[in-house]
Amino acid sequence: MKITDYTMENELMYSGHNACPGCGGALAVRYLTRALGPNLALAITASCWSIIAGAPPLTALKCPILHCPFPSAGAVGSGLRRGLNAKGHYDTTVVVLAGDGGTFDIGLQALSGAAQRNEDYIFICYDNEAYMNTGMQTSSATPFGARTTTRPYPLFKHGQKKDIMRIMAAHGIPYAATASLAFPQDMENKLKKAQEMKGFRFMHVLSPCPPGWGTDSSDTIHLSRLAVFTNFFPLYEIINGEQWRMTYHPEKTRTPLKEYLEAQRRFRQVDEVTIEALQEEVDQDWEGLLKRVSTSNAEK
Amino acid sequence: MSDKTEQAVYEYACGTEPSSLNKTGGWRLAAPEKAKRLSPCCKDCLLHSEVPDWMEAVKGGRWEEAWQIMSRTNPFPALTGHVCFSPCIENCNRGRLDQELDIPTIERAIGEWRFENYQPRKGPRKIKDPVAVVGSGPAGLSCAFYLAAEGYKVTVFERSPIIGGMLALGIPEYRLPRDILTKELAILEEEGVSFVTSRALGKDMQLPELASEFREIFLATGAWLPREENIPGADKKGVYHALDFLSMINTREHPEIEDPVVVIGGGNAAVDSARCALRLNGVNHVSLVYRRSRAEMPAHPPEVEAAELEGVELIFNANPAEIKAEAASGQVESVTFNYSKTNREGLIVDKSSTFKKDCGSVILALGQEPDYSVFNNLDREMAIFAGGDLVSGPATVPEAIRGGRLEAMNIAAKMEGRSGPEVPGFSEQPVGFEELNLLARPDLELQDRQKEPGPEAGRCLGCGTCNSCGVCYLFCPDVAVDWLNNSYELNLDYCKGCGICVVECPARALALEGGY
Repeated sequence: MKITDYTMENELMYSGHNACPGCGGALAVRYLTRALGPNLALAITASCWSIIAGAPPLTALKCPILHCPFPSAGAVGSGLRRGLNAKGHYDTTVVVLAGDGGTFDIGLQALSGAAQRNEDYIFICYDNEAYMNTGMQTSSATPFGARTTTRPYPLFKHGQKKDIMRIMAAHGIPYAATASLAFPQDMENKLKKAQEMKGFRFMHVLSPCPPGWGTDSSDTIHLSRLAVFTNFFPLYEIINGEQWRMTYHPEKTRTPLKEYLEAQRRFRQVDEVTIEALQEEVDQDWEGLLKRVSTSNAEK
Repeated sequence: MSDKTEQAVYEYACGTEPSSLNKTGGWRLAAPEKAKRLSPCCKDCLLHSEVPDWMEAVKGGRWEEAWQIMSRTNPFPALTGHVCFSPCIENCNRGRLDQELDIPTIERAIGEWRFENYQPRKGPRKIKDPVAVVGSGPAGLSCAFYLAAEGYKVTVFERSPIIGGMLALGIPEYRLPRDILTKELAILEEEGVSFVTSRALGKDMQLPELASEFREIFLATGAWLPREENIPGADKKGVYHALDFLSMINTREHPEIEDPVVVIGGGNAAVDSARCALRLNGVNHVSLVYRRSRAEMPAHPPEVEAAELEGVELIFNANPAEIKAEAASGQVESVTFNYSKTNREGLIVDKSSTFKKDCGSVILALGQEPDYSVFNNLDREMAIFAGGDLVSGPATVPEAIRGGRLEAMNIAAKMEGRSGPEVPGFSEQPVGFEELNLLARPDLELQDRQKEPGPEAGRCLGCGTCNSCGVCYLFCPDVAVDWLNNSYELNLDYCKGCGICVVECPARALALEGGY
């Protein structure tokens, strides 16, 4: 479907929600409701979206929302699915929306449980790489080198970002994918593909956060694009935990990581040596990914 | 759980009121607004035509709108689509991607559409004061078009029996099919322009008598006088001036040309004459001799290449010294040339080195100049307007059309007692290729030129002008860009001013303004 084929009726999100200007998370939900709607039920764990969705009676979405506690996203999704099934609403798509805290840290056990049981719903993690809603505290999704309020300037986070995609792949779930806001068509294709499948499906969306990352609100899409072009956040999908497939290969658009880091104030304390080390790491991860992609291609 | 409770729970979960009650526009510190920037094609266009605008209309199949936009600056797109050398293409940003947009073809298509869909205005029209236009070349016709559109009674005087000036007599038929001019003239006549042929100013009529009959006079007699260069033997039999030769060809008078032909000069008239001469029966060899180098030729390079392909022999750095004729018949037999070259002081002719070129005919295309004798009998009280080549010296058809249009606006302004139009200046830099954010357009496919005007216009990147790609709507996190009928509207009630649309706009047709 081309951009211009959409009309305002496709939109399941209202204007006037509470997101900051240039919010990546708001855009991610706009794309996903548009792709999966309108027969959609959403469970939202504690995250920015708890606020963005608005205090009752106001709502930002044209579909039912179930707000739930921080660690329970995976479990609430399971319950919602089974409840709807019991009522006979088999065709309703259940989506669980969680931030990186609700996925990588606090929500990991419920998520892992649901994935292990292969519950039938779509889990979407919009990753802004820290606990942005409560004030930018470090999470295990925060990349090396970023300053947060718990590691304020001139300190910065040590330790790697958790590789959630490999964790999910290890669960052997039917479908897991990464998506970028700068590639809406790619994201929509993946969501549509996930919707047609049964079982536990997972999507990891990088959603830039202008106040938390220290960027201009107008740079959200530009940064999402740079993250893909620098191989910092490659676009791929994993089917049944073993078939890895690239959906976008930045051959011509490959950009040095430095450009991505320098565009964000949260990385301002990172020196040249660290940037080089990070670049090496990103290259290594990329090689590893390519290897997994090629071996799964060979097996097929 | 009873159905009623369930409904209540569902409604609570869904929310009962949309968040659009919340006018988040108040958060804004800066607002996006529709902006328009200069495109390279528009900057380079001799007519200052708004190319991206009519391209957008053609893409959407809105031909009437395309014609309306086109006719603001160019009343004869079918003509210019054929004869203009299209400087608009040279800096087309699409060329950096795959291939330049075929602007002249679409321009012609708009003209052809008009020929088919022209309808005379219905009902009686209020006819305003009479205006005389002297000269029916591109400048005169353009002035007549715009004055007639304003409702003035225009009479065009032409000294030759054929209307069209340079369009009919100077430009060879292979560059401009004659039926196009005929159709344009038919439409002009429908619009109320009357033509008087075979009336030359200064010979058959004088300025004072015109002034007594018409309220305003526009002179556009062009540049038809051959420039006099003192070449010995230029008055011999078999020597033609380029414009006389072209006029004879165009009126099918069959000049007596004998093989081989030597054309002297390096302008467009020289190249046209050479190509026309080669098309004549009995002519097998045409040489074009220019006194400077190829790079210094004023002629349009593609025309020179075409001439070369057709078999015209090109000789450079040769200055004519003498044209010799047979003693008995007086017919030319050879031209003697000296080698020459240009340096900082100008043309240096080496008189010691000469060569001879045998020929049957010689065509002199050494440039032309306006005939200022039309201004004779001009008394001090009389105010007249003039435009086209008569004012600018020999130039191109689009420049003459532009001159005619500007003078038409000045004439109308003077008669209505207001000040003349402001001519837009182009100090602004056009949108460059690097500025276009084409990464935001994954739907953009690399493709070569298309045959149909619609798909070809769809290739336009719309530099500086919205071309309805929908990227602003796609990337708005606040759904504050309404997308209706393939065009967008900024909804400032909800826009939080993040500026994503401005940064991402592939065509640079949005700007972020500080304040509310």
